[in-house]
Amino acid sequence: MSELMVRMAELAASQDAGDVLTALGLGSCVGVALLDGSGAVAALGHVVLPDSREATDGAAAKPAKFADTAVPTLVEEMLRNGARRGGLYAVLVGGAQMFSLGANSLDIGRRNEAGVREALEAAGVPVRTAVTGGGVGRTIRVYVGTGTVTCKEAGGTETDVSTITSSELAEAA
Amino acid sequence: MNLTDIQLDALREIANIGSGNAATALAGMLGRPVDLAVPTARALPLADAVDAVGQADEQVTAVALPVDGGIDAIVLLIFQPEQAERLIGYLGVGPDDPEMALSALSEIGNILGSAYTGALSIMCDLDLEPQPPQAVDDMLGAVVSSVLAVASGAGDMALLLDSALHVDGTECEFGFLFVPQPGGVERLLGRLGLWATEEDAAA
Repeated sequence: MSELMVRMAELAASQDAGDVLTALGLGSCVGVALLDGSGAVAALGHVVLPDSREATDGAAAKPAKFADTAVPTLVEEMLRNGARRGGLYAVLVGGAQMFSLGANSLDIGRRNEAGVREALEAAGVPVRTAVTGGGVGRTIRVYVGTGTVTCKEAGGTETDVSTITSSELAEAA
Repeated sequence: MNLTDIQLDALREIANIGSGNAATALAGMLGRPVDLAVPTARALPLADAVDAVGQADEQVTAVALPVDGGIDAIVLLIFQPEQAERLIGYLGVGPDDPEMALSALSEIGNILGSAYTGALSIMCDLDLEPQPPQAVDDMLGAVVSSVLAVASGAGDMALLLDSALHVDGTECEFGFLFVPQPGGVERLLGRLGLWATEEDAAA
């Protein structure tokens, strides 16, 4: 059992009960957690920018950096770890606007969230909960095994934002 | 963006001159000597960049100054709470007035950012102009990653031009970053003759 740090443009998946997937201090970035109804498998991506097609200088980036490439990779990781495709859902945390720094950075947080939602819709994965927007930094933690997802805002305490219901557990069993 | 050692050395020298000017300006404002640690210039994978600046979930006060004119960039100052309190204390501002504290730190950001970009403008023959500062209390990771996100463009690397200032004879120190936006590093290096543009190649 360990806490796996998912830093900018990284992703992680686990099926080891007791593992925690964590993205610390999300600002405009979006933490995209994927779970299935059992809670036994989870994945988390740390999305930095909305769209890989806007990136034109030809440099290579990790798939988790962009919303449109992160979501298919996360779905793949979930299935590889034995998740049920039909039971997949997403929890989103982040997408804030920390500063307004001119046209170049205009609302990256909001655009990140929109990009993630679009990619999730294309993949047929519903969003269960989103704690996004505003101007505050957040930390997301995903507890593998129970399937609980928590969010901690700057200066606040860790709060459950998504849990798995007993009927879901019964269905997954 | 792959930078050679020579290019990183040049960027470090730019940061050194900019920071030296900033230290002098801050010393004038505070009426105390200010020391400058040798700045670092590092090209790191995005994933490592926040950890290289500090602890991602640490609560800090951050002041960001957008810079335009020739190249777009952001100057980002990061203060730990105790450091911020000492620093504004030198300006006669107490910690019990958070709004006044943010305003005093913004003014420090203004002075420091103007001095830094002024030195860069002269060195690189640019007309850099800092815009009004914005200050927030938040997690270090949230502010640093949000600034680096925009700067990272398509690739997976972040350039950190990192400086640390120390107010002489006290325990007060803080760091700041100069973060060029996409294309900015190339332009800075181009001004120093260390980046071949397509026109150069064609000539």
